[in-house]
Amino acid sequence: MPQELTDAIVSLRIDDAVTLAARMLAAGTDPLEIIAESTEAMQVIGRRFADGEAFIPELIMGGEIMKSISQEVLPEGGGPGTEGPKGTVVIGTVHGDIHDIGKDIVVLMLGTGGFTVHDLGTDVPAQDFVAAIEEHDAGIVALSGLLTLAFDAMRSTVDGIVAAGLRDRVKIMVGGAAVDENVRVYTGADGWGNDVSRALKLAGEWTDGGA
Amino acid sequence: MQHAAEDRLGDRLIANWVSGEHLRFTSDEVRRSYQARARLIVDTIRLEDTGAIPVIPAATQKFALDYGQVTFREAMTEFDKALAAYVRQYEDTDFDAYVGPEFIFPAGMFEALAWNRVRLPGVHLPDDTSFQFVEAEYMKADEYDEYLDDPSDWVLRTYLPRLSPRLEPLAQLPPLRNTLVFHQGLPDLVLAAAENPGVVDAMAALKESGEAVQEWYEYLGRIDQELGGRLALPRLLGAMAHAPFDIISNYYRGWRGTIVDMYTRPEKMKALMERLLPWQLQYGIDGAKAQGHPIVTVYLYKGADGLMSEEQYEEFYWPTLKKLLLGLVDEGLLVWVFTQGKYDSRLHHFTELPAGTCLIHLESGTDAFLAKEVLAGSQCIEGNVSSALLATASVDEVEAYCVRLAEVCGKGGGFMMDFSAFLDEARRENVKKMIEVAKRYGRS
Repeated sequence: MPQELTDAIVSLRIDDAVTLAARMLAAGTDPLEIIAESTEAMQVIGRRFADGEAFIPELIMGGEIMKSISQEVLPEGGGPGTEGPKGTVVIGTVHGDIHDIGKDIVVLMLGTGGFTVHDLGTDVPAQDFVAAIEEHDAGIVALSGLLTLAFDAMRSTVDGIVAAGLRDRVKIMVGGAAVDENVRVYTGADGWGNDVSRALKLAGEWTDGGA
Repeated sequence: MQHAAEDRLGDRLIANWVSGEHLRFTSDEVRRSYQARARLIVDTIRLEDTGAIPVIPAATQKFALDYGQVTFREAMTEFDKALAAYVRQYEDTDFDAYVGPEFIFPAGMFEALAWNRVRLPGVHLPDDTSFQFVEAEYMKADEYDEYLDDPSDWVLRTYLPRLSPRLEPLAQLPPLRNTLVFHQGLPDLVLAAAENPGVVDAMAALKESGEAVQEWYEYLGRIDQELGGRLALPRLLGAMAHAPFDIISNYYRGWRGTIVDMYTRPEKMKALMERLLPWQLQYGIDGAKAQGHPIVTVYLYKGADGLMSEEQYEEFYWPTLKKLLLGLVDEGLLVWVFTQGKYDSRLHHFTELPAGTCLIHLESGTDAFLAKEVLAGSQCIEGNVSSALLATASVDEVEAYCVRLAEVCGKGGGFMMDFSAFLDEARRENVKKMIEVAKRYGRS
C-alpha cells in the first residue's frame, strides 16, 4: 500500500491519495509512517521540479495533498512532528512586501527537503527575523521579495542581523523574481535565487559545507 | 479590401491618436514632436524598419515620485503632487511616451469601501511603499455553477460583499432576476432597500468611492494635457483586457485554488474561461472606443515559464488568450501584451497572431535575444532591461547591455527600448544611459 500511496501522490490524484492514507491508518499503520511515505513522494515531485520535468502546479498540488493527508491521519493540531535533520531555516517576505506565492513554495521545498522551516509570513520587520533566528537557533535565513522596493528592506534586514551580532551564525539568501547577483551584493546576502528550486540547492550546499 | 480595412475601429483610433486631436498642444512644434513620436511607435509595432528605436517606460513609479519627493501615500491622495513629480521626471529623461497614471490609483476609491483586495500605503503599509494586491479565494470551489448560471447576480450579491465590508448588505438583496414585473419581485427589491439601512449605507459608500474616482479622472485629464499637450509624450496605456485564466487565478480563486481546480474540476474552469472571453473582448473594444485610444493592454500573470507546463499552458491558458488577442486584432486594434516573469518557452505562440499587430513586453527574466530570434518578422518586442541592473549596476554595465540589445534586437526594426518592470530605485544616470543608447543607435 505504501507504493500505491506514493504513486497516487506523485500522479497528483488527491482523492485516491487521501483514501489510501485513511485506509492505511485504519489498518493500524503509524501516522508518522504515512507522513514519511507522503514526504518521500513529495521529494520525488521536488526532484522532478528541479530537473525541469515538473512545474509549480505539481508542487502546489502535491502540497495540497500533503496537507489533506496530514489532516486525515494526524490528530487535530498535530504537525508531522519531525525535526528536519539538515538544519533550521527562518524565512519570510521582507517588510513592505506582501507577496507570498514564491515564498510558500520555497517553504514547501525546504520542508520536504529535510529542513525545519519557520515561516514568519509576509511584510516581516527586521527585528522579527532577528528574534526568530535567536529563538530557533537558525543557521539559514531566507529573505523573499517580489518588488524591487524589497531590495532596501532586504538590505536593512541584513543590517539588523549584523547589528544584533548574529551575522556570523547565519547564512543569508535573498530570493524573488527580480533578484540577481547585483541584489545579493547590494543587500549583503550570501546567496541569491530567482526561481524556487535554487533555495533548496543553496541550503543544501551551505549545510553540507558545514555552515 | 482596402476600404474595409480603413473602416476598422482600430485604424480610425490610430489616426486620431497619432494626430493628437484629443490634446491642446502648447505650440505647433510640440504637436509635430508628439505626432512624430506616436507615428514612430505605431510604425515600430507594424514592424517597419524606421531606423529608430523608440524608448518607452513600462512604469516609472517611485523613480518618478522621487523627483518630487512624493510618497506613494501622497501620490494616491494628493494627485497634483504626483503630477508635478512626473513632469520633472519626463523633463529630465528623454522618453518617447508615458504610460499613464503609473498604476497609482486613488486611495479614496478603496478606502471608502474598505476594499480588502488591496493593502494601501499609509493604512496597512509604510507611506512610501506601493499599494499591493491581495490574492485570495474570493470565489469558492463549489461556486462555478452559481457563477455560470447568473454571473451578474454572483458579482452583486457574493463577490462585492466579500471584497468590501461596506458592501456586505448587498448580499441581502433579492436576486435581480426575480424582479420581472410589479407583482413579481419589485416589492421585494424595494423593501430590501427601505427596511435594511445597510443597503442604503452600501449605496452611500459607493457614492463616496465614486467621488474619489471623479476627482482622479479629472486629474488624468491634467496628466494628459501636461505630458501630452506640453511635453509631447503620447500615452501608451488605454483600455485593458485580461486573459480569462488570469481573471480566475488573480481575482476569483487565487493561485492555489486555481491549481487545485486544474486537477479536480478542469471542465468547470474551461467553461468559465469561455464565458469570460467575449466579455473581456467587448470590454477591451468598448474601452478603446471610450478612450479614443488604439492600444489595448493585456497584462499576463500566471502563464509564465515554470508557473505551468507547456501542456497546461496549451490546455488552460493560451486558447482563450489567443481568441482574446485575435478578437482585438480583428478590430484593427494594437495590443500591448505585457508578459510578466520568464516567458522564453511561450514566445512562439505569438507567431500564431497576424504579424505586426502586437507589442510584446519582456521582463528581464526573458531572453530578449531569443525573443528577437523567435518573433522577428512576427511581432514587435520591447523591455528586458533589468530593474536590478538599473538600480545597482554601473553606467558602463548598463551601457554594455543596452548596446547589445539595440544592436541585436533593434536590427531591422520591431524593437523598443524599455526596462523590465517598475523603475523604482533605478539610478537616474543609468536610466539616462539606457535612453541615450537607444537614441544614439537610432541616429547612427
